[in-house]
Amino acid sequence: MAPITTAAVNLSPAELSFLRSSLSQTPPIRLDHTKGPRDFRSMRAEYDVITSANGSARIALEDGTEALVGVKAEVEQTRQSIFGQQNLHTEGADERMLLEQDDKVEEEGKGQNSWVEMSVEIPGFRDDDALPVFLASMLTESLLASGELKDRLYINRRFHWKLYIDILLLSPPLSYPLALLSMTTHLALLTTRLPALISEKDEDPQFNDDWDAAVPLYPKDTEKPTGAKVMDKPPVIILAMAVGPNVIFDPSKEELAVADSVLAIAYTGSKGSTTGARLVSIRTIDPPSHLTPPGVPNSMNSATGGTVPTSSADALTQREMLANSGVWTPPRGGMKRGLVSQVTKMVVEAGGVGEEVINALQAIEIG
Amino acid sequence: MNTDRRRTNAPSAGTAALVFARTVKEPGYLQSLRPSRTREPDELRRIFLQTNLIPSATGSAYYEIPLPRSPTTSTLIPSTSTLKILASVQGPKPLPRSAPFSPTLLLTTTVKFAPFATRHRRGYIRDSVERDLGVHVESALRGVIIGERWPKSGVDVVLTILEADEDGWWGDGNAGKGDGSGWGLLNVLAGCITVASAAIADAGIDCVDLVAGGVAAMVKKGEGKEGEVVKVLDPSPTDHKDIVAACAVGYLAGRDEITEMWMKGNVGAASDELVEGAIYASLGNLGVMKEVLLETLKSKIRAAGQEDVDQTKGSPPGDVEMTG
Repeated sequence: MAPITTAAVNLSPAELSFLRSSLSQTPPIRLDHTKGPRDFRSMRAEYDVITSANGSARIALEDGTEALVGVKAEVEQTRQSIFGQQNLHTEGADERMLLEQDDKVEEEGKGQNSWVEMSVEIPGFRDDDALPVFLASMLTESLLASGELKDRLYINRRFHWKLYIDILLLSPPLSYPLALLSMTTHLALLTTRLPALISEKDEDPQFNDDWDAAVPLYPKDTEKPTGAKVMDKPPVIILAMAVGPNVIFDPSKEELAVADSVLAIAYTGSKGSTTGARLVSIRTIDPPSHLTPPGVPNSMNSATGGTVPTSSADALTQREMLANSGVWTPPRGGMKRGLVSQVTKMVVEAGGVGEEVINALQAIEIG
Repeated sequence: MNTDRRRTNAPSAGTAALVFARTVKEPGYLQSLRPSRTREPDELRRIFLQTNLIPSATGSAYYEIPLPRSPTTSTLIPSTSTLKILASVQGPKPLPRSAPFSPTLLLTTTVKFAPFATRHRRGYIRDSVERDLGVHVESALRGVIIGERWPKSGVDVVLTILEADEDGWWGDGNAGKGDGSGWGLLNVLAGCITVASAAIADAGIDCVDLVAGGVAAMVKKGEGKEGEVVKVLDPSPTDHKDIVAACAVGYLAGRDEITEMWMKGNVGAASDELVEGAIYASLGNLGVMKEVLLETLKSKIRAAGQEDVDQTKGSPPGDVEMTG
């Protein structure tokens, strides 16, 4: 029975109560009082930091949390399933017709989830601890949701790219690292390039050895060939927490300790010009506030002139009557249904938080 | 060639498994066997729930989506899948002396698939999918349990999945699906939440409300790219060829709150609709759960009353029933 070590914030019940009441004001006063509820912590970011990887990025937050992501691609032979062979057989007759069609059509739906492999390393955690496992599965799931990435890895019937995404948190997890890791992965994938293919169709793949000719994994809008399909940007995961009626984005570790509920939302940019911004995954995260120590009110404390409850039943009743007295009690229950849709709307809407983050990350790459 | 001629050797290269001739010869035949959803879009599968069946545990429950009585088919490919989950709660019990002080009840949730639960055998060591599920169930329960009433203690919730929902139809092959991380997991999660909640209520641990799990999905109707996308409650992954997005929630009906939500897939703008659907599905499960808990409670009271009568009669102290 291992207690959760990440969440351990050393704040007293009085401090927690103070933080909570200032966060639930309108407008909320955050721990860093210069920030509004939708502001992110400032960060330094760079890309192409690892020369031996196909794409890489590093982001350091102002509180010292730092993440490094490397993306490597390898050519791998595709295992033919028995049903795949059968398709190959029946397609034989209209092979000619198929060849005449655009390659893009042929690529669709050929990708497999196992072509993307992700690993998350967090110092102080084992590979199979709950936190790295949870982070890796959320990141992978949002990446694979649209199915466009894995189709992009298709080379021909016998070969495909295998994409290894290795995520390293260089510092100890000072705050919940999900948003940071996903932003770093986003930047690394945006700058990932694959060697240009020079062989045709079902030949053994051969690649152009000029790195300058390499094609980006996520084609940029500006240099895409005419007629090519517009591809989504890789997803970005945004952390939002609710305190009372307020929704606060990118919470710090101390702010998380008083959260009523926490939501992680994976968002991909809108498809092309249409304003259909899209969600690919939502998960609730168990807020560490459930593990905080409850405060003891003066009325129940003999040291401050109160009377100690006579029985445990008596203590329970007194405790329940404290609900709105300002004495810290760990929050109970979950997130109101209306709040969930309010948060998703704030992320998805035009000019919302999601768009802001994606544009900011894109600006890093361009400039 | 230096081969061993005394034994019957395995072929030097790999071989493919046998395929029934008809599925290979007639390309359309396999697809004609595909099952389709016979329920209404908002009709749930029947569930079976029973509590208080493991005597040594503080609380326990068993959850099952039984196999519907299907018409006799001419194929060996199973057309439906079932879900069977067993939950047991140990505790609240004192933490070991070596553990650091905890002001609240420490909840540990262990989700384990039985080795035979899925299409591919699961090992005895928990893999990442099981750990991830454990985190989900834990966050569903942590919001419900009033932890501050048990300082310095811990409770273990152990969920054993005896049979898991399929991720897809067997006839579709294994392409990217059979690895057990597909859509069936959402059904498993919803089942786990419901059964764990029933077991905790059976154990008598203080909760703010009963949490129940439910699933809704957006599925593509019809063929091709322009297929219409419709919302279905409680999707059985074998029935649908194209699931676009799905959502599982843990819902507290009394407080109108969500403690756990897991939405994945190409959700688009339909997130509110999906959450709504999943909540409706969870309400169905909640109804069953309430009935069952009430029934268990009644039988417990009846048994206690019986015992009192026995004691006043001065019956010989033969079998002493231990209740925990």
